[in-house]
Amino acid sequence: MGQGRVVRLSDVTLSEVVVDRERFRIGPVDLTIRSGSATVLLGPSGAGKTSLLRGIAGFLPLQRGTVRVDGTSVERAPPERRGFGFVPPGLGLLPHRRVRQNVSYPLDLRGAPDARARAQRWIDHFDLAKLADRYPTQLSSGQRQRVAMARALAAEPRALLWDEPLAALDVESRDVLLRLLRELIESEGIPLLLVTHDPTTAFALATNVVVLEAGRVRFHGELAALPHAPLDRFMARFLGFETLFSPEELATAMDGPLVRALREGSGPGGVVVPDDALRWTAAIAGADLAWVSAVRWTPRGWTLALRQGPLMFYLHSPADSLRLRVGDTVRLELDTTRLRPLVGGGAS
Amino acid sequence: MVSDAVADHAAPVRRAVAAVLSASLIGLFILPIVALFLYAGYGQIANAAGNAGFLNALYFTLLASGIAVAFGILLGVPLGYVLARYRFPGRSIVESIVLIPVMIPHLIVGIALLVLFAPTNPFGAWVAGIGIPIFDAIWGVVLVMVYVGASYVVLTSELAFRTVDGEAIEAARSLGASPTEAFATVTLPQAFRGIVTGSLLMWARGVSEIGGFLILAYAIYPSFPYGGPVTNTASVYIYNLYSTAGVQAAAGASALLVLVALAVFVAVRVLDRTGMAWAKVGWFA
Repeated sequence: MGQGRVVRLSDVTLSEVVVDRERFRIGPVDLTIRSGSATVLLGPSGAGKTSLLRGIAGFLPLQRGTVRVDGTSVERAPPERRGFGFVPPGLGLLPHRRVRQNVSYPLDLRGAPDARARAQRWIDHFDLAKLADRYPTQLSSGQRQRVAMARALAAEPRALLWDEPLAALDVESRDVLLRLLRELIESEGIPLLLVTHDPTTAFALATNVVVLEAGRVRFHGELAALPHAPLDRFMARFLGFETLFSPEELATAMDGPLVRALREGSGPGGVVVPDDALRWTAAIAGADLAWVSAVRWTPRGWTLALRQGPLMFYLHSPADSLRLRVGDTVRLELDTTRLRPLVGGGAS
Repeated sequence: MVSDAVADHAAPVRRAVAAVLSASLIGLFILPIVALFLYAGYGQIANAAGNAGFLNALYFTLLASGIAVAFGILLGVPLGYVLARYRFPGRSIVESIVLIPVMIPHLIVGIALLVLFAPTNPFGAWVAGIGIPIFDAIWGVVLVMVYVGASYVVLTSELAFRTVDGEAIEAARSLGASPTEAFATVTLPQAFRGIVTGSLLMWARGVSEIGGFLILAYAIYPSFPYGGPVTNTASVYIYNLYSTAGVQAAAGASALLVLVALAVFVAVRVLDRTGMAWAKVGWFA
């Protein structure tokens, strides 16, 4: 099924889409999704990811650009002729049909004579046989995700477009769904385009990543390249870096070896201090002292907020070895080779 | 009983107050009907059931109300859909217009329709000219029933269409359904119950109408599709019984009409459930 498919978006642009009461243009987006790969559209909420996906699926008009499947333009076709399996965030299961009839729905529409048998294949594949006679409201959210997936695949889509596949799932169901999606990418060869606001979903699945912010593409490339991409404030925040300073903050900070090192490592947009660039030791009288502003426990260890003048540093410490309390003074050590300069822009 | 009550020492008092108030209203709904049946007794109900004139009026009322509900669905469901789905200039005005028949006294509906359809004005003359008898004919009854009842179909189907899951429609489209197929297989089955409820309300409203009939169609002369003897609607017939033969005769016929209405109500509810079951196995697909 679907071997060797290629979905190519060229110059795809949506005009004047209203997201969270803000009007902006989305795109232009150029993107190629191949069989056996997953592309993840990543961005904070309100970035225009869902609108872009709905534009590709045919539910919003494109201002310009082309959507080609194996070389055939589909951007003017209605949604039902594009051959994409579009799964909305709420899944869009039919509440008045049982699981079995939800899965066979696309086959029933085509009047497929072997609809039941073909639906059964996907029911078995996703381990839904015991639930086949239930209605969607009688299922857990993880089970509903599997039904949506089975139904989308029963339609033999040319590509699967899924908006927030892991939303509202508990940890265990997330793992099951991620495994199923990975299997799908590898065994069925269906190009996958997923939308998510959660970078960890992207890291778990994506071959390629497109990061959107307010409709603009901020990064596009292989997942492996994402950590090495030039960082601006938005990307740094989005990727989870907590300690970053603007040139203005560094300018107002009191001079000392630490601040000088930060200024030297800074780019036009400031500097990011990754977690592993920072270490604390017992306070020795002198420079580079910081006081502990907050201590937070997490299952993976302690998160420390350390303040030095106007600068706040965040770092993590293993779960068992913390002797610090709020108000203590520590000395900060910086591995300057690990600092990441920020390029300009990226106001958020 | 309330099962989701949290620990709250005032809860028993609140529950008791709510129970007394609710029971009062339920009592007000039920007691007059019980009194009616007790007063009429088996004898008067049997009399009414053996009264050929009343049975004919009942048959006529069911025929006219059936036709009226068909028109109500035909015209009301699309309007409910439009109001639920589209934003357009003047939408709130249209919504207000839909409420007019519910707001104005129905005797006035009769007078207004009388004025509009009078053959002395061009519109009335045109309707009479194309051969649709309104006055003292079934079509006058149907007209009044549609006027006073179709709003219920519009309002309940609008509400039903509003609650249909938009994502399910988009998912269906993407799975290969044309807009018409998506409407038939996703929207309609989900709105079905609301449309049935609206139709039932419209039917009940039409059968209980009297003011409009008194003005527009007091006596019904045969015209297609009603071919029986001269008759009245059941409500007008009961009113005549009340003013000529007394309360007891009217009570017997009234009780019989209540029984018929209840039977229709139950039958529609059962059909509705069956219909939903059919929808679930792909009746609409």
